Amino acid sequence: MTDEELMLAICRGDQSAYQTAVKEHFKPISHYAYRLLGNQKDTEDITQEVFLKLWVNAETWKPEKSKLTTWLHRITHNLCIDYLRKHSRVKTLDNFEEHLIEISEQTNDRGDSFTQRDLCRDSEKNRILDNALHQLPESQRSAIMLCTVQNFSNKEAAVIMDVSVKALESIIARAKRSLKSIVRTMADNGNTDELPEKQKE
Amino acid sequence: MTLEDFKQTIECLGTDPAHWPIDTRVQCEMLLKSSSEARLLLNEQSDLDLLLQKMETPIFPGLETRILNQDLPPRQQSMIDNIIEWLVPNQLGAQLWHPAIAACLPLVFGVLVGNFFSFGVTEQGLALEYWDDELALLSFNDFSSELDEAEF
Repeated sequence: MTDEELMLAICRGDQSAYQTAVKEHFKPISHYAYRLLGNQKDTEDITQEVFLKLWVNAETWKPEKSKLTTWLHRITHNLCIDYLRKHSRVKTLDNFEEHLIEISEQTNDRGDSFTQRDLCRDSEKNRILDNALHQLPESQRSAIMLCTVQNFSNKEAAVIMDVSVKALESIIARAKRSLKSIVRTMADNGNTDELPEKQKE
Repeated sequence: MTLEDFKQTIECLGTDPAHWPIDTRVQCEMLLKSSSEARLLLNEQSDLDLLLQKMETPIFPGLETRILNQDLPPRQQSMIDNIIEWLVPNQLGAQLWHPAIAACLPLVFGVLVGNFFSFGVTEQGLALEYWDDELALLSFNDFSSELDEAEF
């Protein structure tokens, strides 16, 4: 069944078509929501809401405008951002970048890549990376997740985030630089859970 | 292409050369052949991308089942869909209703066409033609005998 046929069936009220869509898209949607929100409970609420919106608003999807997965990710992105704003958990980009510069100046930069350090096992690297991702502002986190992890093209990711392609490329570039800086800081300081105290202040 | 440009390219577009624009790709490949720093940058970025892709994904026990079994509100159809469904019901009577509708369609069509199109014939024109004809016919009649009788 193509996406168009699936959505037509959902528009007609076919619950088995809805279940097929859920099985197909549950994993990427829940993972994307988790990376944006950072905790399990919020992720479960938002993921459930995404699929409810799929059922209620199925007729608003236009296949000529975007793929079904792009449309679902866009809904997820919007719901997550609204949720984070409502709960005042949005990091402002300006504050984040100022602190990042301060931390980079403090760190004893050994010049070697985080990924190449022998002292970190893969599980440790995963933990550091996971925590580092959560330190990024939502827009950078979203860009990294969509382009690097979920393998969307820059054009599709720009549609999901409702920005231009140029803006998205700029966000991704800054995100990768920020990520490298944070993980290097964490690995240097031996603190894999959060950024140094000065950043909190 | 400078090292900084190359770094910008791989940060924006990723480490897969298939995603680089063709003219940029040629320059990047030339730089990669000649510069060990460029190769180091590419490897570092590739390693980071690989780590990101291999990050452990969380498990949400029971969530998928809950979503599959959640109570869904009745789908609201648009007015046009409701009208169509009223005209063409999908119930038992549809076996009689569909041929009846099909048989009435030419009649409905003819009434509509007759109401909206006059085909060059108007009521006013008819009236005029009728009176013109009437007067013409009257003018051919011989009333002289009637007038004579009236005098006498």
